[in-house]
Amino acid sequence: METIDYKFLDEVLEKHDSDGTKIIPIMQQVQEKYRYLPKEALTYIAKKTGLSEAKLYGVATFYSNFSLEGKGKYVLKVCRGTACHVRKSANVLNALYEATGLSDSKSTTDDGLISIEIVSCLGACALSPVVMVNDVVHAAMTPDKAKDLVAELRAEG
Amino acid sequence: MAEKKMFIDGVECPFTNERNVLEVARKNGIDIPSLCYCENLSIYGGCRMCLVETERGGLDAACSMQPRDGMKVFTHTTKVLKSRKTTLQLLMSSHRAECLTCDQSGKCKLQEYAHRYGVDDTRFEHNSYSREKIDASSPSIVRDPSKCILCGLCVRMCAEVQNIGAIDFTKRGKQALVAPGFGKKLIESNCVGCGQCAAVCPTGAITIKNEIGRFWDMLHDPNKRVVVQFAPSVRVGMAEEFGMPADTAVTGKLVTALRRLGADVVYDTNLTADLTIMEESAEFFEKVKNGDKLPLFTSCCPGWIQHVEKAHPHLMPQVSTAGSPMEMFGALIRKQFKDEDVYSVAIMPCTAKKFEAQRPELEKDGQRLIDLVITTSELNRMIKEAGMDLKCLPDSDPDDPLGDYTGAGVIFGVTGGVTEAVIRRVLADASPGTLQTIAECGVRGLEGIKAFEVSAGDLKLRIAVANGLGNADKLIAKIESGEEHFDFVEVMACPNGCIGGGGQPPASNARKAERFSAIFKEDDRLELKIPQQNPALQYVYDELMQGRAHELLHIHYPLHGDHH
Repeated sequence: METIDYKFLDEVLEKHDSDGTKIIPIMQQVQEKYRYLPKEALTYIAKKTGLSEAKLYGVATFYSNFSLEGKGKYVLKVCRGTACHVRKSANVLNALYEATGLSDSKSTTDDGLISIEIVSCLGACALSPVVMVNDVVHAAMTPDKAKDLVAELRAEG
Repeated sequence: MAEKKMFIDGVECPFTNERNVLEVARKNGIDIPSLCYCENLSIYGGCRMCLVETERGGLDAACSMQPRDGMKVFTHTTKVLKSRKTTLQLLMSSHRAECLTCDQSGKCKLQEYAHRYGVDDTRFEHNSYSREKIDASSPSIVRDPSKCILCGLCVRMCAEVQNIGAIDFTKRGKQALVAPGFGKKLIESNCVGCGQCAAVCPTGAITIKNEIGRFWDMLHDPNKRVVVQFAPSVRVGMAEEFGMPADTAVTGKLVTALRRLGADVVYDTNLTADLTIMEESAEFFEKVKNGDKLPLFTSCCPGWIQHVEKAHPHLMPQVSTAGSPMEMFGALIRKQFKDEDVYSVAIMPCTAKKFEAQRPELEKDGQRLIDLVITTSELNRMIKEAGMDLKCLPDSDPDDPLGDYTGAGVIFGVTGGVTEAVIRRVLADASPGTLQTIAECGVRGLEGIKAFEVSAGDLKLRIAVANGLGNADKLIAKIESGEEHFDFVEVMACPNGCIGGGGQPPASNARKAERFSAIFKEDDRLELKIPQQNPALQYVYDELMQGRAHELLHIHYPLHGDHH
């Protein structure tokens, strides 16, 4: 279980005046730090903003950009939008699944290193097929490049 | 200002400050269907049942449309009828319809509309309802997501009126679900069991925990002596279900009905409402004398108690330890029938009482004080099941020697009633003039928050009364900020007090106002007005309590602390 840095939460809350109408930027900043939304953090934010726990859970589950589950050190966003699909992103995805041992029902490796997410469009269609590793865009992916990418990430650890 | 009017189906409909076309229509006798609208909640506009056709031929939701002078709308054109039918068919495709066995059958608005608007169910398959499990974890209510049509009435009731927010919309699209956060069950959430969500649910997605079967079993058990008490507001939550005017109190008929159902002994909880006042006012003056922290908060409402425990635990030491009238009668029953195999049943307007009855603190001398709580709604069903027409039943009186009560007990059923009873007790003067002064001091009325001052001898008491937990929270905020000081605060969790309880048949504001007047008509009818006049009290204190009154008639919940 994640240890929650309540001082950090207080800072984020203070920056947004603990205002319930700013709940999305608050949650985004918390997610930025933990790469997901720990339950304890949401409970704390609920108390401080005066919003109900159920409301925050509702927001967190409504937007697919929010996650309630822990993610790996490297989050691989594989684009399956139209342009990437036409340029065979399915093969890239399968290669990544094969190289990591992940699947559509298991999104994070047991060692907590790599997560794979499917996204609909990263707005970089000219570079398709695209995979994003955290904040870095990898353009014109192929299955071979995908395997190399995973090996590289493993090597970096 | 000239009178404004609009035209609905060509009928001239005057209006003033109605919040939408839907209200104007209903006020003028035109019933536009709606599944997600409630007069006491914010407007959602989600169900699309109230679509009407405008002059220009468009369809608009009447709940979200402001009435304008000269406006014309039509409520049963070809377009409207077709749209309603499609809407209902779509709703039905994601609703697990088991109407014959559903608890809400006969009261379900979806069922009523499907019939009224002639929907055949062959258009879409009925297979996209939620597969989430039924949540029966709460002793008060049952949540069945497979019947939920996502109208959001419960969500708004819980958040806007009660300020709890135990449930909300979660997930999205086909997975959308009204539920507590983090997949919790109701019992693990901050739900207080008030049942207001069940009262506004148009389908059977949230219902009162049904314990009718258990009550029948006990009534039919020849070895059990079934002793039944019924609360003040129950008598005004039955008439309309049996074709009598809603402002009728059916006290005598209710006693007869309970006996005919098979109850061996019938008592009126009014007696212990009187007793609650005796104990609570004694506690209040003790606190005044000791200079303890005030206000003293009332303790008879179990929804309120749970709310304090979950949201304001630090205030618990200021909540009276006087047991609720239900608890106190439970204690009397155990002493009255010492060695008998008694099954103690309470008929209550309240779903939270089902929880209260199960609390470990409601066990004294190794015996549960209350074995079962049945709501007014459940009792109405049982009376119908037994083939009785309440209207035609003769009156009868509760059993002796615990059958006496005063008007101070009856008025517990409405917001402000407990406080008015306390004032009657304190002023100790049953003359019509004094009673009139008390009635006009600001304590009466259905407003959400009332604040006023009462003089008792050289004491000047500042008192507040709140109904609905949202109003209670507003009041607490004012007290904690130092903006207001009160000596005594009454809180009832349900809007309008117990007459609008989650266990009562759901009612409009107008109908609740009728129940309110029925309670005071009952008070008027009674000769005795102030609790200390109750002749049974002496018997209670001398014969039954035998010096153990404080021990048996007070409840110390864990957060009350030790200093009581």
